[in-house]
Amino acid sequence: MKISYHWLKEYVPFHLSPQELADRLTSVGLVVADIKPVEDDFCFDVEVTSNRPDCLGVIGIAREVAAIVGGSVLFPDTNFISTNTEISKTITVAVEEPLLCPHYTARVIHHITVAPSPEWMQKRLRCIGLRPVNNIVDITNYVMMETGQPLHAFDLDKVAEQKILVRRAISGEEIVAINGARRALFHDMLVIADGKKPVAIAGVMGGKETEISESTRNILLECAQFEPRQVRRTSRSLGIASDSSYRFERGTDHEGLDRASRRAARLIKDCSGGEIAGGAIHITSGIHEAKKITLRMERLHKLLGTEIKRDRTRDILKRLSFKILNDNENFIDVEVPGFRGDVYREIDLIEEVARIYGYDKIPAKTSVCVRGNTKGKAEIVEDTIRQFLTGLGFYEVKTFSIVDTTPLQSINIWSDRVGIDIANPLRQEESRLRTSLLPSLINTKGYNLNHGTEQIKIFEIAKVYLAEIKLPQEKNCLSLLADADFLTVKGIFEALLRNLGIVLQCEWIPFSESRLFRDGRAAKIQMDGSTVGYCGEASPALGFKAVSCLVEVDLDLVGEKANFTKKYQDLLQYPAVSRDLALLVNEEITWSPIEKCIMDTRVDFLKEVKSFDVYRGKQIPAGKKSVALNLCFQAKDRTLTGEEVDTAQQKIVDTLFRMLGAELRKA
Amino acid sequence: MKLIPTLPVDKRVDFGKGVNSLKVEIDAALQELISKLSVQPVSKVKAELFDVTLPGKPPFVGKKHPLTQTIDDIKEVFASLGFDVAYGPEVELEYYNFEALNIPADHPSRTDFDTFYIKDDVLLRSQTSTVQIRIMEKQKPPVRIIAPGRVYRPDTVDARHSFMFHQVEGLLVDEGVSFADLKGVLYQFIKAYFGQNVQMRLRPSFFPFTEPSAEVDISCSICDGKGCSVCSYSGWVEILGAGMVDPNVFKAVHYDAEKYTGFAFGMGVERITMLKYGINDIRLFYENDLRFLSQF
Repeated sequence: MKISYHWLKEYVPFHLSPQELADRLTSVGLVVADIKPVEDDFCFDVEVTSNRPDCLGVIGIAREVAAIVGGSVLFPDTNFISTNTEISKTITVAVEEPLLCPHYTARVIHHITVAPSPEWMQKRLRCIGLRPVNNIVDITNYVMMETGQPLHAFDLDKVAEQKILVRRAISGEEIVAINGARRALFHDMLVIADGKKPVAIAGVMGGKETEISESTRNILLECAQFEPRQVRRTSRSLGIASDSSYRFERGTDHEGLDRASRRAARLIKDCSGGEIAGGAIHITSGIHEAKKITLRMERLHKLLGTEIKRDRTRDILKRLSFKILNDNENFIDVEVPGFRGDVYREIDLIEEVARIYGYDKIPAKTSVCVRGNTKGKAEIVEDTIRQFLTGLGFYEVKTFSIVDTTPLQSINIWSDRVGIDIANPLRQEESRLRTSLLPSLINTKGYNLNHGTEQIKIFEIAKVYLAEIKLPQEKNCLSLLADADFLTVKGIFEALLRNLGIVLQCEWIPFSESRLFRDGRAAKIQMDGSTVGYCGEASPALGFKAVSCLVEVDLDLVGEKANFTKKYQDLLQYPAVSRDLALLVNEEITWSPIEKCIMDTRVDFLKEVKSFDVYRGKQIPAGKKSVALNLCFQAKDRTLTGEEVDTAQQKIVDTLFRMLGAELRKA
Repeated sequence: MKLIPTLPVDKRVDFGKGVNSLKVEIDAALQELISKLSVQPVSKVKAELFDVTLPGKPPFVGKKHPLTQTIDDIKEVFASLGFDVAYGPEVELEYYNFEALNIPADHPSRTDFDTFYIKDDVLLRSQTSTVQIRIMEKQKPPVRIIAPGRVYRPDTVDARHSFMFHQVEGLLVDEGVSFADLKGVLYQFIKAYFGQNVQMRLRPSFFPFTEPSAEVDISCSICDGKGCSVCSYSGWVEILGAGMVDPNVFKAVHYDAEKYTGFAFGMGVERITMLKYGINDIRLFYENDLRFLSQF
């Protein structure tokens, strides 16, 4: 619902800026979704939940403000002097369906002049997004927005037989509503009819025929209460909704009804020069007894999990217009005001107290739960690696930390110190804490080979023990062994890093350790200048027939660089252009400088560069090789033209020639 | 050689020698070929010719859908708080979606729950709160469950709305459960899922099946609460609805509302995932563009 800041101030004194007011209202459950300056006022867009129809009027919001700041609501003056003409002489009203219309009031105002409404009223209506029409229509809207009670004005002279009947529609009857919609009515709908036909769809919308026009002189002011479900069903089945039906569906205030009617009559008298006929027609059914509820203090405290003092509780209820009937140490008896149809149980009172007391003042307890544990980063890293590698067909293995002292097990790629010996080993053959996981993986490969498993992909996450002065350094390592070639396993390792959110480029430096790796087919892996691991094809000395590849990584270092915060990158909408090049370069020039050289050209729409083949052969001069690469160009904001890509490609080719002497190989 | 005995005796020796030398020759040639094939290509590659800096061959890897990842994370946090995972049907009786949850027919709050209907009293559930009722009907307190799953609402599809989405419902019922406990559990979850420094705020609100009810906001992770377009410059973003189970809901499942109290909460999985990764369009989850799926 939209309300005006200055209009609200008229009913409750407060010293809050628009933003402060918005925050306070939000904190009691009236979310202010937006504040918009309109002329010299502010329009608040307040989200009113469906249980609080009382807040669908400025006075309702003023009550909440009063409860927050501790003031009282100032109601507008609804007194007026009426004429000697009694209303009963001008109109008769009958309600045939008291269950669907529990309360109907009518007032009659004679000799009005339809004209624009006063500027102050128009300004307020504009502020909340309503279009001023004329004084009568504006006043019914104004009072509805003020009190939350919908009203309707009929042109009395067009009401046939000076008679109003609240009845069910006769199937087949039709009505043209004020908005121009023509609808056939059915027996399950409630209408306001005159002596001849329906003049309004009860609670939903008035009819076109009796609508206020410039020639209207006398009006009938209707202010009623309709059964919420009835209004909702009718509104939905006719496909007509209005500010009135919105309020009736949610329930209106029986007690405030007459005040709204008087308020509108008074304004019409003031603004249109009309004369109010004496008396009013009131048709009510049943006795509306005020609801009485008992709030047990113990229940309040137990349910909220905090102790709110009795004085404070009583004060909150009073501020919310609940009448305190009885009050002692253990309970408070209250009477619920008519506008709070949503409050009818003890639990509803508890919510009211909690809401005004402040949800933020209720402590966050953990008595019913153990503390939620959060995984440490190292644990997430290991879980991620295990899931990733098993997904690629790797088996996780567990091998002993205590190993033998054979030359293979004595390999130490992490430090130059020898392994730590056990003083009293169980067996002489196994007496040392290992310094690498790879020998154990190699043995596992051998074991499986002997048992008929030719192809193998295994990994282990475990510690290696590097001697220090007192206690050793226990380094967490990840090692893999896979029956695949160097570049395949390198690809797996690179994908693993990406999976850990590591975007940092690794440097691959040729490395040799002939007991483990085949000469020329191994590398030391560095990140930021520090060694994070080794990768290489298994040494022929290990005696495997097929090509096997080994990796060992420092998991502490890699885990530290892992980054699991992901940010979504918009998908590029424009097409990518792919170009293949074959370069003739000297044998000693590796891929790494070629890639760096291309990236350094800083072509901003170069998305990716890949090498897909290295070729040596007859057509290639001795001492040279041909490197085939693929460039992928894609811009965020446009489709690239052929010329743009040509220019960029030429720039890359020129740079490669200048920096590395690389030549484009002629096809 | 099997033919030798069939030959005349005088020719057998010569023939045998000839065949034998042929055999040796073929063996040698074969050996050479085998050794060439198996060893040579590797051994002849000179060390300096192999380039270790060449990019690796990327393996084909798959990923779990980001929504599954979020649900898994949520399950994990609540598992550590002692919550079991429960499921319920998606094609549901109107009773479980509405009446049992204190949403009577023709009630204005039904407007907040537009629903796909199959038949008069059969619908596609518009909320996972249905599972609360199904579990409580079967089980006596204490109850401690979360219920993840698909829900359906006839919303026009746009960047913020999808006619099908996911929710995770939570329910805890026991003796002596309070609003303060609700705050405690939600705070544990929010810290575990969004980070230890995230702030939480509860605002009074209205849901028919809880009383008191609250909307739960967290400090905006995009701008650290300073104000940005994601949080509409308020510094807060709404992530879930919660409250104390309404006594009318207990009545529907024949629980003694005087003896037992409890709380329930529900969150949108898409919304939480979008906030976590800065995803700006809910449709991306269901387009399944691999360029999208590969990012998580």
